[in-house]
Amino acid sequence: MARPQIKEISFEIDGREVRAPEGTMLVDAAKSGDVEIPYFCYEPKLGQPVGACRMCLVEIEGMPKLQTSCSTPVKDGMVINTTSDRVKSAQNAIVEFLLINHPLDCPVCDKGGECPLQDISYGWGGGKSRFIEPKRHFRKPLELSPLVAIDRERCILCYRCVRFSQEVAEDYQLVFLERGDHTYVGTHDGRPYVGPFSGNILDLCPVGALTSTAYRFRARPWDVEEAGSLCTLCPSQCNVQLTIRDDSKVLRAFARDNPEVDDGWLCDKGRFGYQAIHSEERLRAPMVRDGSMLREAPWDHALEQAAAALTRAGAGTAALAGGATTNEEAFLLGHLMREALGSPHLDARAGGALDPQQARVLARPDLSARVSDIDHADVILVVDTELVEEAPILDLRVRKAARRNNAKVVTLTGRPSSLDPNATAAVRFAPGAAEAALSALAAELGSGRATGSRLHSRAGCEPGAIGAAAEVLRAAGDVVVLWGERISDGARGASAVDALLAVAGALGIVDRPESGLIEVPAATNARGMREAGVAPGLAPGLTDAPEAGMPAAEIAGALGAGELSALILLHEDPLATHPERRRWQTALDTAATVIAFTDFVTTALRDYATVIFPAESYAEKEGTLTHPDGRLQRVRQAIGHQGQVRPEWSVLAELAGRCGARPDVRSAPQVTQKLFATVGFLDGLTLDEIGGKGVRWQDRDAASNLPRAELPEGTLEVPPELPEGMRLGTVPSLWAGTTVEHAPSLRFLAPVQRAELAPADAHRLGVGSGDEVEVAAGGQRLRATVALRQAMQPGSVFLVSGTADNNATALTNGVPRTVEITKTAGAVNGAGPPAAAPAAPGPGAQPPPV
Amino acid sequence: MTGQLKKLTANYDEPDLHRMEVYERLGGYGSARKAALDMTQEEVLDQLEASGLRGRGGAGFSMGKKASFIPEGTMEKYLCCNADESEPGAFKDRVLMQRNPHQLIEGCIIGAIAAQATRAFIFIRGEYETQAKMLDAAVTEAYEKGYLGSGIFGSQTDLELVVHRGQGAYICGEESALLDALEGKRGNPRLKPPFPANQGLYQGPTLINNVETLCNTPAIIEHGPEWFAAMGVDKSTGTKMVSVSGNVQRAGNFEVELGIPVREIIYGLAGGPPEGRDLKCFFPGGSSAPVLTKEHLDLPFTYEAMAEAGSMLGTASMIVVDDSQPIVPLALNLAGFYRHESCGKCVPCREGTNWTVHMLERIDQGDATPMDLEIMAEVQTNIIGNCLCVLGDSMAMPIGSMIKHFRGEFEQHIEAARAARDREHIRAFSAGELAAAGEAGPA
Repeated sequence: MARPQIKEISFEIDGREVRAPEGTMLVDAAKSGDVEIPYFCYEPKLGQPVGACRMCLVEIEGMPKLQTSCSTPVKDGMVINTTSDRVKSAQNAIVEFLLINHPLDCPVCDKGGECPLQDISYGWGGGKSRFIEPKRHFRKPLELSPLVAIDRERCILCYRCVRFSQEVAEDYQLVFLERGDHTYVGTHDGRPYVGPFSGNILDLCPVGALTSTAYRFRARPWDVEEAGSLCTLCPSQCNVQLTIRDDSKVLRAFARDNPEVDDGWLCDKGRFGYQAIHSEERLRAPMVRDGSMLREAPWDHALEQAAAALTRAGAGTAALAGGATTNEEAFLLGHLMREALGSPHLDARAGGALDPQQARVLARPDLSARVSDIDHADVILVVDTELVEEAPILDLRVRKAARRNNAKVVTLTGRPSSLDPNATAAVRFAPGAAEAALSALAAELGSGRATGSRLHSRAGCEPGAIGAAAEVLRAAGDVVVLWGERISDGARGASAVDALLAVAGALGIVDRPESGLIEVPAATNARGMREAGVAPGLAPGLTDAPEAGMPAAEIAGALGAGELSALILLHEDPLATHPERRRWQTALDTAATVIAFTDFVTTALRDYATVIFPAESYAEKEGTLTHPDGRLQRVRQAIGHQGQVRPEWSVLAELAGRCGARPDVRSAPQVTQKLFATVGFLDGLTLDEIGGKGVRWQDRDAASNLPRAELPEGTLEVPPELPEGMRLGTVPSLWAGTTVEHAPSLRFLAPVQRAELAPADAHRLGVGSGDEVEVAAGGQRLRATVALRQAMQPGSVFLVSGTADNNATALTNGVPRTVEITKTAGAVNGAGPPAAAPAAPGPGAQPPPV
Repeated sequence: MTGQLKKLTANYDEPDLHRMEVYERLGGYGSARKAALDMTQEEVLDQLEASGLRGRGGAGFSMGKKASFIPEGTMEKYLCCNADESEPGAFKDRVLMQRNPHQLIEGCIIGAIAAQATRAFIFIRGEYETQAKMLDAAVTEAYEKGYLGSGIFGSQTDLELVVHRGQGAYICGEESALLDALEGKRGNPRLKPPFPANQGLYQGPTLINNVETLCNTPAIIEHGPEWFAAMGVDKSTGTKMVSVSGNVQRAGNFEVELGIPVREIIYGLAGGPPEGRDLKCFFPGGSSAPVLTKEHLDLPFTYEAMAEAGSMLGTASMIVVDDSQPIVPLALNLAGFYRHESCGKCVPCREGTNWTVHMLERIDQGDATPMDLEIMAEVQTNIIGNCLCVLGDSMAMPIGSMIKHFRGEFEQHIEAARAARDREHIRAFSAGELAAAGEAGPA
């Protein structure tokens, strides 16, 4: 389904001739004539209008009754009156009705001063009340969730929060309870409204009924300023508006609508994660190791120590960049490593390096989709990524496409996907068998490249499942493929990407401008870092590096073996994110020097770091990031640097200078300019051009400077057979990591380790939901709580990666591996195993206690 | 015209009419068979349209025309029979369903053919338990006979029919709320457009008709549209079930030819108010219809005449009020019903019904002034036409009409109640209960 072509029409509003796109709702079209029509319930982001508040009634010539302008599309020649006596008396009436049971406690209401109800009452109300009866009362305020307080007396029942829960987040938790004038908003089961997107109802509420527990009573609108920036907590890179007090404190974050990126939504991590910026535990000054202790040190001393150690190590230095490293920081890290220290060993990926040629192919403009292509796709193929954990805002985007535009969703994942209920076809493969699954799909789609027999069983898929998915895809026009970076991990990563490209080839994606691939990476700015040259084989601009370096896994080995002696960790803690935790432990232990840039001192850094520089928070940073779809966006400084924190670009530049290759940069924009001048396909780009909404480099002429890369041909490699046993998969948690741990409002969401099992496997292992188990592989073990999932493929177990304790990285080693699961303790809360396990117990097996 | 004209209810005295064999013996399912086997969908539609049959559920929209709005196309289409009869004063559908369930099923088959629907639902009011059971039994019989299911009457047409019981909300009688409820959602009205004919149940084109409307269709197919159109006057063709209740000597259902004088219904058929009392007012079409008074007794009972008189024929549920009834408690009772049944989705209805009840309570308890009457009248005006569905109007129109016709009585009531309350205060004062009265609150 292609993007609709919209033509302009002209209509008359309040005596003025106005032009607007055909089909726009009157309430929006009126704005083209500088006419404001008041409304409460209308919010196009929520889908179809509901016409509940009746505030937007207007008179349309030829229609006997007043019409809701939120639900009436403008037509050519329409004549609309928004100021007639009839309309005015209706508006007065609605405001009067709305206010009769409203407490009018504006002086103590958080919304006061930025409240649509207040504004509309002043603008369109009668200014007096004739209601002398007692007002309706509810208990208030109550916690709707730990994040949101609800004041039901202020609520005007506009439906927005309920519609968000029902039709956007699709968590179906919020409902209207009771009816008539007793109606109130609550959760259907009376439990707290907890979901990854619950905070959006704060933005949606047009009155002071839903307030943020983190922001309540902190400030009045006239005390604060707003600053537009970018959330750098996940690859979604949502546009945010930060509420700033006294140029120094972030009080709130809310969405800054950008339909090309986030559609105006934020996840709760992005909304409340700002609290970590002001956490007491945040590092605000450099630290230098003094014996077994890390001590706060003056900047000059810290820089001197770091520079001296790095100079000593020279080409024996390696660097890992992660998380929210900006393009500029990545660029300067590359400069520090390659120019100053002469070391090619830098990486930004935990799972293994991407083949340089494949990186260039994947960057091809004709192969990449933009986020808004999801809206208009016929089929969305989700390959081995759990969007709600990895790029949550894209999860909402896929739901929207399926719900509103009837896009079909195909999930091809190892773990049951939260999008399965929306999917036309859902295919499960064994953890780590993405390559076989993609090869099988390519074969079903008629790609001549796929060979090998029994690809289904190599993928561990149900027979026929891939065929069903292929059938949906074959009939499709535009296809958007959202693929998880993890398929390219490990030794077979290149073959898996090759299989993905075979699928893309079979779907004819390069020939369809609105079809394409979007990678869902592990790190926020994975794409930007890669394109700025933080990859073992790639220089800035995706050109081949003059000297190939080691990828992360090899760096660990080389450090452990003493072949490398220094390690720079730019926003990265390998013990939290990289596989083979024990190997990294050895590496850190052996390394002579570990220089880290971080905002929170993790256990690993406390134990092993030589020098730690305090990292900027995203609210303090100036720079650019690259969205997974190629959109460069600016992160803007919103508050002054906290404590002694310095701009990290300047620290990197200073380090490079002290190591003998001072880059010619004196300000953040200069670094950006230098980067753009170096990267061919960013040539001529300026910060002004990026502006507030970002620019996709593929849409600029300079995109032709991307080194040429042909789609691969030739047959795919035959994927290996599956290992026998319980196969281990991991899933990241949105709530894992230091931001959540240090944001008081979010802390309750921090994940604990759980082992997700199919009921049949749990039955066989004699464990039930809530049981404590030990999961072991290769001599490593961790503890987890069993969680049963009906849709889990038998033979699979999934652990959470990134948890503070019992992190799954202890067991992962970059190849599909099997684990042993043993029960250590029964369920704490007495929840037993499922009553009816599908598989019959084997001979002699004891049925589990009920 | 005088007396009843029994067409729909012609066979109602036949024992065991609810059973298939009896219904068939009297010619039942002949029309549905004819429509399924011998007629095209267009012919069925044309006949319904030509008959002038208007919706019997309240709005009075031409049934054939409504069916003709169903778009062509291969999408799944639906027929919904609205059997959520909840209007105070209405009890005609109950009788139609319990006496002759097969007539309704046959009507559903004909309606479904006209709308090209392959799935039909009868949404029946939850409290109609007996009727639902009887319908269920009749539907089972029809399935067994092959009149429902795949290839009805041996034709190429399929029709599934499901009887769905509501949960007792008045609002679910509103067609779009009915659809939401049927889909398993909270029964709230939807914004229109899109109208159900375009996007109804599960987003598919849907024809929604009242029980009585569908019950009329077999006879139209049997005798032809001219036969039907010959009954009644002008654009109010056919016969109509009238439920008469309230202060009359013989309350009950009567089938009359449209155009019969109102006086003939109230006095002729229902026997008029009890001895010694006089007619005060009446609701011609259920509690949602503005009240009419004695001066309207000689109007013909048609959609047009009732509308011209400022009311509506509605469901033709005639609630008669005699002069022994004070108007304020009547208004309060009525407003209380609508306040209770308001779904709460749109503002004027949710807040307006609540406010009206509060004001009427104050009037009744002697805590109001004539100024409140002005405000109350204005609140009704502010509700009318500004709501999402017609429930708000359904309270505002009759309350408004009561204020219009009985303003004097309202004012007298206000004064009398105030005086009574003052007397009560003085009595309490003189009895030495000063302290108690002081604590009790407002003066």
